[in-house]
Amino acid sequence: MNKLVKEAIEKEAMLATRRHFLQSLGTGIGSLAYGSALWGCSSGSKGQQASTRIPPHFGKAKSVIFVHMAGAPSQLELFDYKPMLAKFDGKECPQELLEGKKFAFIRGVPNLLGPKAHFLQHGQSGHWISDHMPHLATQADKITFLKGMYTDQFNHAPAQLLMHTGSARLGRPSLGSWVSYGLGSENENLPSFMVLASGGKNPDAGKSAWGSGFLPSVYQGVQCRSAGEPVLFIKNPDGVNSDIRKASIDAINAVNEETYAEFGDPETVARMAQYEMAYKMQSSVPDVMDISKEPAYIHQLYGTNPGKESFANNCLLARKMVEKGVRFVQLFDWGWDSHGTSKDGSVDFGLHQKCLETDQAVSALIIDLEQRGLLDETLIVWGGEFGRTPMQENREGQKQSFYGRDHHTEAFTMWLAGAGIKPGMSLGETDDLGYATVAGKTSVYDLQATILHCLGINHEEFTYPFQGRNFRLTDVYGKVINPILA
Amino acid sequence: MKKLFIFLGLCIAGMTAIYVSNKQQKVDYSTQVKPILNKNCISCHGGVKKQGGFSLLFQEEALGKTKSGKPAIIPGHPEQSSFIQRLHSQDPEEKMPYQRPALSEEEIDLLTTWVKEGANWGEHWAYQPLEAPSIPAGSWFEKALAFVGIPASWAQNDLDYFVQAEQKNQGLTHTDQAEKADLLRRLYLDITGLPPTAADYLAYEQDDSDDAYEKQVDKLLKSPHYGEKWAAMWMDLARYADTKGYEKDEARSIWKYRDYVIASFNQNKPYDQFIKEQLAGDLLPNPKESDYIATAFHRNTTNNDEGGTVDEEFRTAAILDRVNTTWEVLQGTSFGCVQCHSHPYDPIRHEEYYKYMAFFNNSRDEDIPDDAPTYRHHAPANEKTIAQLKSFLSNQPLATQKAWGQMIRFVEPKIHPHWADQFENGALADNKYLAIRNKGSARFMAVPMMGKTKLLIACRNSGPAPTYLNIHQGTKTGPIIARIKLDTTLQEKYAKPKGLFVKGWAYLFVDIPSLPGKQDLVWEFLNAKTKPEQTTATIGFWAVLPEVPGQLKSTAFEKLALQAIATEPEITTPVMLENPADYTRTTRVFTRGSWLNQADAVQPGIPALFKNTPVTNRLDLANWIGSTNNPLTARVAVNRFWEQLFGIGIVETLEDLGSQGLAPVNQALLDHLAYKFQVDFKYQPKAFLKYVVMSASYQQSSLVDESTREKDPNNRYITRGPRVRLSPEQLRDQILVWSGLLSRKLGGPSVMPEQPDGVWNAPYSGMQWKKSDGEDQWRRSLYTYWRRSSPYPTMVTFDAGTRDICLSRRIRTNTPMQALNTLNDPVFLEASQFFARKYALNGLEFIQKGYLDLLGRDISSSKAEKLNAFYAQTLAYYQAHPKETLAFLKLCSDNEKPGDAANLVAKTLVANALFNIDESMNKP
Repeated sequence: MNKLVKEAIEKEAMLATRRHFLQSLGTGIGSLAYGSALWGCSSGSKGQQASTRIPPHFGKAKSVIFVHMAGAPSQLELFDYKPMLAKFDGKECPQELLEGKKFAFIRGVPNLLGPKAHFLQHGQSGHWISDHMPHLATQADKITFLKGMYTDQFNHAPAQLLMHTGSARLGRPSLGSWVSYGLGSENENLPSFMVLASGGKNPDAGKSAWGSGFLPSVYQGVQCRSAGEPVLFIKNPDGVNSDIRKASIDAINAVNEETYAEFGDPETVARMAQYEMAYKMQSSVPDVMDISKEPAYIHQLYGTNPGKESFANNCLLARKMVEKGVRFVQLFDWGWDSHGTSKDGSVDFGLHQKCLETDQAVSALIIDLEQRGLLDETLIVWGGEFGRTPMQENREGQKQSFYGRDHHTEAFTMWLAGAGIKPGMSLGETDDLGYATVAGKTSVYDLQATILHCLGINHEEFTYPFQGRNFRLTDVYGKVINPILA
Repeated sequence: MKKLFIFLGLCIAGMTAIYVSNKQQKVDYSTQVKPILNKNCISCHGGVKKQGGFSLLFQEEALGKTKSGKPAIIPGHPEQSSFIQRLHSQDPEEKMPYQRPALSEEEIDLLTTWVKEGANWGEHWAYQPLEAPSIPAGSWFEKALAFVGIPASWAQNDLDYFVQAEQKNQGLTHTDQAEKADLLRRLYLDITGLPPTAADYLAYEQDDSDDAYEKQVDKLLKSPHYGEKWAAMWMDLARYADTKGYEKDEARSIWKYRDYVIASFNQNKPYDQFIKEQLAGDLLPNPKESDYIATAFHRNTTNNDEGGTVDEEFRTAAILDRVNTTWEVLQGTSFGCVQCHSHPYDPIRHEEYYKYMAFFNNSRDEDIPDDAPTYRHHAPANEKTIAQLKSFLSNQPLATQKAWGQMIRFVEPKIHPHWADQFENGALADNKYLAIRNKGSARFMAVPMMGKTKLLIACRNSGPAPTYLNIHQGTKTGPIIARIKLDTTLQEKYAKPKGLFVKGWAYLFVDIPSLPGKQDLVWEFLNAKTKPEQTTATIGFWAVLPEVPGQLKSTAFEKLALQAIATEPEITTPVMLENPADYTRTTRVFTRGSWLNQADAVQPGIPALFKNTPVTNRLDLANWIGSTNNPLTARVAVNRFWEQLFGIGIVETLEDLGSQGLAPVNQALLDHLAYKFQVDFKYQPKAFLKYVVMSASYQQSSLVDESTREKDPNNRYITRGPRVRLSPEQLRDQILVWSGLLSRKLGGPSVMPEQPDGVWNAPYSGMQWKKSDGEDQWRRSLYTYWRRSSPYPTMVTFDAGTRDICLSRRIRTNTPMQALNTLNDPVFLEASQFFARKYALNGLEFIQKGYLDLLGRDISSSKAEKLNAFYAQTLAYYQAHPKETLAFLKLCSDNEKPGDAANLVAKTLVANALFNIDESMNKP
C-alpha cells in the first residue's frame, strides 16, 4: 500500500515542481497546472486546454510575500514627500482638481492638508522616508518605490478585490491562486498559498481576496489563524495523539487499498495520498507556525511576541513559510483607513501607531530574508488598495475633529524588494500637491503583470478557460514595469 | 407467421436505412468547420478583432469585402479564396494563422472542401431547434425480436439505446446491474441527498417483487427530502446566500426563496413554470405571495453597503449579473463577454447584450442597504389590515388599486435620498439618509408628479424644535408646493396608534397639488433652534401617490394605510418589482462595457440568433425561455440533471453549450432527453428523473474491468455506474443520518451548526456566529447560514463556491484539507460518537454491524480485520490512559458518563474511520 501511495506522491510532486515545469516547455498549460491526484482534480478532463504555451522565460522569484496594509496607508505621510502641500496647508483645494471628481466621503470644497510627518532622505538611493518608518529607512537601498500607482476603485472591498483578483467585482481567482495553479508548491507538506491576517479583522474584501474564483478550490489560499488551531481542523481532537491519528489513517488507507483493488478508481489512490499528506501537514503546519523556538535575536529583530496575534509574528511566519517552500504568502494588516473621524483613524497619531506596530517587523523581514540568502528568490510587495487625498476629509461637508484623508485613486505609493527587482529605485512622480501622477504611472494591472513576470509567468499568456473565454489575472490590461526589473 | 413477415419487413427497412446513411456526407459547418475556426482564426477574425476587415463570426461578414476590396471567401472557388490560399502560403507576412503553426493537411482539406461546396454556414448544434432524434438502429431490431417473443436486450428504456449506440461506436460495452444495496444507496443519495438507514436496506433486500426498485423510486420522489436535495443544486445556480456580500457582508433575509425552491421541486412544478415565476413572477396577472418570493432568484445579487459607494454603480453591477446569470443558468451560454464587444465565438452582437439588459433594467431595486423593495410579511393582525385595505380598493380603477396596493404591501415606489443632488449645507448621511442643516437644501430631479397628490415622508427629527420643510418647484427660489412641519412631537403623536413610529422613524402623509409631468423639487429645511453643524430632520425615503379615491376618504383608509406602512413587518424578502411607467429607466449600450460610458438607447429584445416573435418585456422573456421555441432551455436543464446523477454532464461544460464549450459526448442522447423532458414529460422534473433512474444505464454496477476503464477513464460513455465523491452537503447530511442526529424539519430561517470560533471576522460588522439551539444545529446542510465572505468551512473545503456569482459546476478536488475536515471537525467527531453509542456491540461485531448499516452489505473479512486491529490498538491505549479518555469525551455536549469510557473512545474513532473510508465518501 505504501508503495502505491508513495508512487502517487512522487509522480505528482514531480509534476508540480518548477524543474518539471521548465523542462516541459511546449506542453499545454493544463499539464502545468499542478496536481491531478496529489491535490487532485478529479473531474478527469478539465474542460478545455488553454491554447497558451508555457512562458519562455525563467523567473527570478520563487516565492512572493504580499504585505497588504488594508484600509490604505497615506503615501503623503510616508513616502511621497510634498513640501508644497505643507505650504498650502489649510487652503481651499483648487477647483480644477475637484471638477468632475467623485470621492468616497469628501463633499463640496475641502481644504488641503499638509503632510503630518517629518521627511528625510536615506541611503545611497536618497529615498524620502518619513519619521513614521525609522526602521524601513535603514533598508532604503533595498527597496524600490512605485510612486505613480493609480487605481479606479475608491472603496475598500472593490479596490482590494481589484488588487488581488484583477477585478473589482466578486468571483475571480486571486493572484495567489493563479500562482499556485501555475507553479504548484515547492513543499508538498504545506499548502502553496497561505494567508495571515492581523489588526483584529479580515480585509474588507473577505476571503475572496484569497479565493480561487473559477479555478478549482484547491488553489484557494489557506488562512492561518492566530488563535486556536493554526489551520482549521489541523489539530487532532483532545486526547488523540499523533500515533493514534497515524493508526487511524493507516486503517482507513488499508481499507481503501482493498476498495481500490475492487473498483480500480484512481481517485481512491489519490484519497489515500491525501490522508497521508494530511498526517504530514499535521506536523509540518504547526511546525512552521510555531515561532517560539526561534532564537532570541530573531525575536528582537522582528519585535515578535509568541502566542499573540500581531503583524510582527506574521512577518516572521512569512519568512518561515517561504523558507519551507510556500509559494505565495499574503499578509493583511487591518486598520490603515485614516479618515480623521477618530484619534486612531488620524494621519498623525493613528497612522503613527500603525507604523509602530509594523515598521520594525517589515524591515526585519527584509533583513532576515537577506541574511538567509532568500531575498534573491523572494519578492516582497508592500502597499494598500489605493492612496489618500492631499485634502483634509470633510465628511458630510463638515469639519473633522482629527487630521484625516479620504480614499484617493489617482496616486499612491507601493514598494517592492527582493527577487527580480532593481533595488534602491523609485519610479513615478506626482504633482506638487501629490494629487495626481504626472510621470511613471503604473496601474494595479501593471503591478500584477510585474509580479507574475518575476515568477517567470507571462501575464498575457497565462490563462484559464471559463465561461467560453480565456480569462487572465490582468484581464485585457497590464504591462510589465520594465524599468524596475533587475 | 404474420409476425415473421413484419420482422422481415423491418429488417429490410433497417438495411435501407443503413445504406442511405452511408452515402457521402457534405462537410458540416458546426461540427467540422467551426471548431477549426474557433481554435485558429477567430481570435483575430471574430467578434473582438477584425484584422484586415475580415471576420468569420457572421456569414455576411465572412463573405463580404475585406480591406483588400475583395471577399476572402468565394463560395465554390477555393482557388480564388485568399482564405484558403493563405493557409498554404510560405511568406511569413501572408501565411495564416499569422505567426502561428500552420493548420494540418486534414484541416486545410476540410476547409477547402467546405469552400468548394459553397462555404455553407450552419448553426451551432445547440442553437438548432430541438427535435426528437430517432431511436438508434439496433433498437428496432431488438424490439422486433421482443415482438416475436425473443427476450430483448439490456435496455430498460429508450435512453439506453442511445447510450448503447455510442458505446458501440467507441468499441465499449455496458456493465451488469449493481447489487441491490449499492443501487439503493445510489438512488437515495441521488433523489433525496440522504443515505438509506439500516431499516431501508433491509426492507428493500426483503422485497422480491419485480417492481421493488420502481417502488423505491416512487417512494423517494414523494419524499419531502427530494425537494431539499434538488434545491441544493439550485442554490449554487441562484447564488443564494444569507448575506449581501462585500465589506460588511451584513445579513439578508431571503430564506423564503430557498423554501420556495424546495416547495417547487416537491410540487413537481413544471420547469417552464418554475422559470417563469423566478424571472417574472411579479408580472404575472394577480401574482400570489409565492410568485413574488420566486423573483428573489434575481435578488440574490450582491449589494455593496460600504460607506462612500455609488449605489448606481452597484445597481448596474447587479443588473449585469442578472443578465449573465440568466444566460448561464437557463441558457448555458456565456454572455458576459458580450458586455464589452460582440461575442468572440458565438453569433451574438454587442448591442444585443444591452437589449437583453433592458429586460432587467427596470426593476425598482437600487442597491439600498435594506434591500428594498421587499415583500413585507406581516403578523396576522396587520395582514388583516392589509386585507381590509385591499377590499376598500377592490372597486377602484385598476391604476389606483395597483398604486395603493403596492404601497401597502411593499411601500413602493420609494424615492431614495440618493436621488438628490445640489446639496447646500447638508449631505447624504451614512450614504443613505438625507441630512440637511438649517436653511440648507437638496434637489430631487425629474420626479414623476403627474397625477400625484399625496406625499409620504419617513423622517426623524432629533432636534429640540420642529423643523419646517419647504418643497419648492423647480429651484430653491421656485414656488413652494408644500410647507410641512416635521414636529419633534410627531414621535409622541404618532406613536399612540401602535406601530406608526418604528425604529425612530415617523411616517406622515401630506397633500400636494397636482403637477404636470416630471418636476425638479428642491427640499429646503428650516430649524433655527438647531446648531449650525447639526442636522435638522433626517429623511429616510419619500414617495408620491395618486389621490386617495373620493369615496374612501370618509373611511379610515388613509389612517389604516399609514399604519400598514409604518408597521415593522415580521419578515421581509427582497423581490423584483417593476418600475411604474413614469419611473422607467432608459437602457443604453455601454461603450466597451463601461457603465460610465453610455451610448445609444436600446429597446428590450433577444438576440437575432433566435428567430422568434418579438419579446418585449420580462414576462415575455420568461415565457420565451420556457417555450418550445427556445432550443437551449431543455438541453441545458437535462444536462444539469444528468450531471447530478452521473457526475459529469453529457456536455461537460454545464455553463457553456455554445461553440466554445465542450462538444456533447452524445448529442443524440442529450436531444432525446431534452425532448422527453420538454414534450413527453411536459417539463415535470419528477417524471424525467424517474425516466433516467429507471434506465439500465443508471442501474449499472460501478465495478469495471481495466480495459474499459482505460478506454473510458471518466465514464463519459456510461460504461458503468457513477462512482463520484459526495457533495459537502451530502457528506455532512450523511453522518447526521448515520448518527441519528439529523433533524428532518423542513424549511425556515437558516441555522448555525457548530463552527470553530474566529472563522467570521469581517470589518465594520457586529455579526456573530451563534450556534443554533437544539435540533437546529443538526439540520440538513442546505439550511446552514451562508455568509458570502466566509462560507461554512466544510462547504468551501469540498468545492462549493462562495455564491458571490452563480456557479454551474463544482469542480471536484481531492485534498488533504478535506481529510483533516472529515477526521477532525467536531461535527464529524460528534456524529461518530453518537453512532458508536447506538451499538451495544464491540470490536469486530461492532465493525461488521456498523459497516452493514452504513453501506447495506457485509464487510469483507480483511477490511474488518484491519479496522478491528485499529480498534484493539486504540482500546488498549485508552484503557491505559484515562486522562486522554476523559479529554476526548469532553467533545460531546451529552454529559452522561459512559460505563466503559475507553471502549467508547475506541468505538468512536472506529466509527470516524468508517465515515472516512472511500466507500462512505463516494456514491457506489
